[in-house]
Amino acid sequence: MKERILQTLRELRTYALGKGVEVVLFYHEEDSYLMRFANSAISLNTNEHLIRLEIVAYSDRKRASYEMITDLSKLDEMKQGVDIAAEMVQHAQPLMYQPTIPQFTETFSDESGYDATLAQISNEERLGYFNQAVKGLETSDIKLSGIFSNGANTLAQITTRSEHTQYFKTSDAQVTVVLAHGTLKWEVIAEQSAQKKSELDPSALHRDLAFLLDHYQHDTPQQIPLGKYDIVFGPAATADVLHFMNWIGFGGGMMKRGYSFLTEEQIGKKVFSDKFDLTDDPTRLETFPARQDFTGIPRKPFPIFQKGVFQGFTWFQDDADEFGAKPTGHTVMHKSLVLACGDQEVNTLEELVAMPRDKDILYIPFLHYTNIVNPSKGVITGSSRFGALLLKKGGSVVVPYNVRLTQSLLDIFGDKIAWLSKSATPYNISASYGARNPSAIIVPTFVRVNDLEISHSNASY
Amino acid sequence: MLGQLKQHIERIKGKGATYLDARWYPFEEANFLTMWNGNLKNTSASRESGLGIRVLYKGAWGFSASSDLSDVAGLFDKAFDNARVAAERVTFPVRLAEKDAIQAKFESPCRINPFEVSLSEKVAFLKEMDEKLDQPGVFQRVSDLSFMRKQIVFVDSEGSEIEKLITEVFPTLQVLGRDSEGGAHERKYRPGRIGETRGWESIDRQLFSQHAERIVKELNQVLVADTCPKEDRSVIILPGLMYLQTHETIGHALELDRILGYELAFAGGSFVTLDDFGKLRYGSPKLTARADATLLNSPGSFGYDDDGVPAQNNVLIDKGILVGAITGRQMVEEANAKARRQVFDGSGGANRATAFYRVPIERMTNINIDPGEDGSLDDIIKTTEKGMIVDGDHSWSIGSNREQFHFGAEIGWLVDDGQVTKVVKNPTHKGDTVKFWNSLSAVGDKSTWEVKFVDNCGKGQPNQIMQLGHGIPVCRFDNVRIGE
Repeated sequence: MKERILQTLRELRTYALGKGVEVVLFYHEEDSYLMRFANSAISLNTNEHLIRLEIVAYSDRKRASYEMITDLSKLDEMKQGVDIAAEMVQHAQPLMYQPTIPQFTETFSDESGYDATLAQISNEERLGYFNQAVKGLETSDIKLSGIFSNGANTLAQITTRSEHTQYFKTSDAQVTVVLAHGTLKWEVIAEQSAQKKSELDPSALHRDLAFLLDHYQHDTPQQIPLGKYDIVFGPAATADVLHFMNWIGFGGGMMKRGYSFLTEEQIGKKVFSDKFDLTDDPTRLETFPARQDFTGIPRKPFPIFQKGVFQGFTWFQDDADEFGAKPTGHTVMHKSLVLACGDQEVNTLEELVAMPRDKDILYIPFLHYTNIVNPSKGVITGSSRFGALLLKKGGSVVVPYNVRLTQSLLDIFGDKIAWLSKSATPYNISASYGARNPSAIIVPTFVRVNDLEISHSNASY
Repeated sequence: MLGQLKQHIERIKGKGATYLDARWYPFEEANFLTMWNGNLKNTSASRESGLGIRVLYKGAWGFSASSDLSDVAGLFDKAFDNARVAAERVTFPVRLAEKDAIQAKFESPCRINPFEVSLSEKVAFLKEMDEKLDQPGVFQRVSDLSFMRKQIVFVDSEGSEIEKLITEVFPTLQVLGRDSEGGAHERKYRPGRIGETRGWESIDRQLFSQHAERIVKELNQVLVADTCPKEDRSVIILPGLMYLQTHETIGHALELDRILGYELAFAGGSFVTLDDFGKLRYGSPKLTARADATLLNSPGSFGYDDDGVPAQNNVLIDKGILVGAITGRQMVEEANAKARRQVFDGSGGANRATAFYRVPIERMTNINIDPGEDGSLDDIIKTTEKGMIVDGDHSWSIGSNREQFHFGAEIGWLVDDGQVTKVVKNPTHKGDTVKFWNSLSAVGDKSTWEVKFVDNCGKGQPNQIMQLGHGIPVCRFDNVRIGE
């Protein structure tokens, strides 16, 4: 199949050259499977096999693109796509800068992130995994929801600038298991991200769910007072906050357009806690990385913050072209962010709850519907969801109703960081809008931040 | 193709499937153009075609889709196999509400097909707008045009055959500026729907020019404004934000699949229970909201949903009392059974899929608020002692059961003793949904009512983007926390 894909791209390249058109061809193939659960039943069992071809045509400073959902047997249709892109670019308006057309200097292929046994996992195995993860935990009131999403992604590229191709193939799985009370409306969650089949471990999810259920089934939820709390974030919450930082933080184009809380003057300066080391690390397969970017730049670990000091912006090729910056190998569908771990010995929620404490600690595993309130100040807002716990000073545990946190990233990752756990978790942040794009952020399993303000506290679920 | 689809529907029925439908998209095309600071950054187009098959077997759904139509039989078999495995874990066997078998066609009103308008004409429009926006105080200026056109052929095992042709046009202007402290502020213009069509002709250049000037002027007012105070005030919400307030705290909260717990793995649930219908005072008596899929000029109108049910105009909240929901065939049956009473009288015709490769789920149509009797915006301001007018969707974040929210607007105007006193920057308001809607103290008349479009509502797993609308008047709410 690989050779057939590359041969198709070569034929299209030859066709474009014959027509005198400068093009970049980008092939995306996904084989996606999703089993979705709701109300303890399989509410949807679906699969999609989709091939997308994007054709970007250039004419000096003009650029236009045409994307089609197609299949490999339709070479004539794809050639028509080249014609359409070529026609479009004639009528486009020149950019005020010279766009770079990728020129691959060698043929590159990376299938190191592909595990056929994960990509081809069967319907029965997906169901079996779920049955194991929630064995004995469902009741007539406590119902299962969740997804088992897995698939394979194939990307391939060629340009009219050279005969060389780029080819990437990955496999991925994202599992979310939610147990929710039908009338009381509380919810608890356990999740897993996998790049290969051996990483799937339903017993770990069962352990976390059983522990949370023990509290949620037996404790009466409370509305907690507004004010400042020491908060321990779980992997989902930490990854969510980092995801927003990626958006309004260290992307050079966003900074130049005024959507960032970071400035060029801050490069080399301390922005966050000295416990904060953030790297874009494409060597970590758990993040479903691209080891070479889509312009052919080899990707290596790229430090973004070291001991809280900002190391520099990442640049997408088109932004680099527009603003005269040097591209950094970040013309990719997603980065491979890794937040370095700390030295706190805590691996599981059970261990976190058992830790001695001299004041109340609010555990927030997940932030729901986070959004940006003020990009210039890095202020975001979101609500807790899925199994928050208030760990009381004396050792007892209270189940809180959900709360809202409206805070600046500068506060969350500033000097208020008390500790980061020694253990790490790859948290899957894949969104299933549009083309499949598996992505994950590796975070410390727990991060404690002191003195953060709760701005709203629910009186119910 | 139709004959082939019908043949396979009968074949799979023979294997024990109780219901099947096929959605064949002969084509779906889109065109996106973005001019950013004078650069035509995005000139893109797309086209796709394919087939999605939905099979109901022993009370469970299976779905399969592909753009490759060389093996239609295999696609049906795969959907059936997916349903067969899903049937191993069924708690409430899917039943579908009754509907008539329909043979029909629907075409959204469109005088000028935007795909027949030349690229140069579209680029000329963007260039003209870009020049209008290129004014002092403006740091970034963005003009967007996006167009969609799709043909959908629906056929099911109950004898329905429906063909739809839907065309949409979505234009947006946006400016961004920086205040003296480096803080970024934005102002956007997304036109309300005017006229009765939704093609290229719906873009009124003169209106865009006027609003381009207005948003630049308002941005410059924000850049030198004081920060929004942190206190309790009445909030007067203009349609440019009121549409989103309605979308998030009425629309999503009243999707019946959310109420029944079908979105708990991702999007969330709803504070509304089945027991609330007919009883819950959702808002003050000034609030009447409806799901109206019959508005001619809005993307929330589509003729027939993807269950093959005709578009309807249903009241959701009647003078403050919750009476209806956003529904499709499956969910109304389950809701009525679980409530042990007839809460819903048939499907509300709101089951839609974003593409051939996605399964239909309950989506908003046009979720509207009826105009009120409290006069014009000026009339409402005059009767406001201490308030803030807000406009523009800057930020929104909602609790997982839609029980509380936090909104940020692009611009605020403080109102004291019936008069607008000054502009403020970074205005926000927050609240608890039911308490908030019960504080609704004024609803503007028809002069304040606008139909706003939403081109990117997300829901479901796999995620689906949907287009819809909101017909919204100016509304005032009392004792709202602002500035946090």
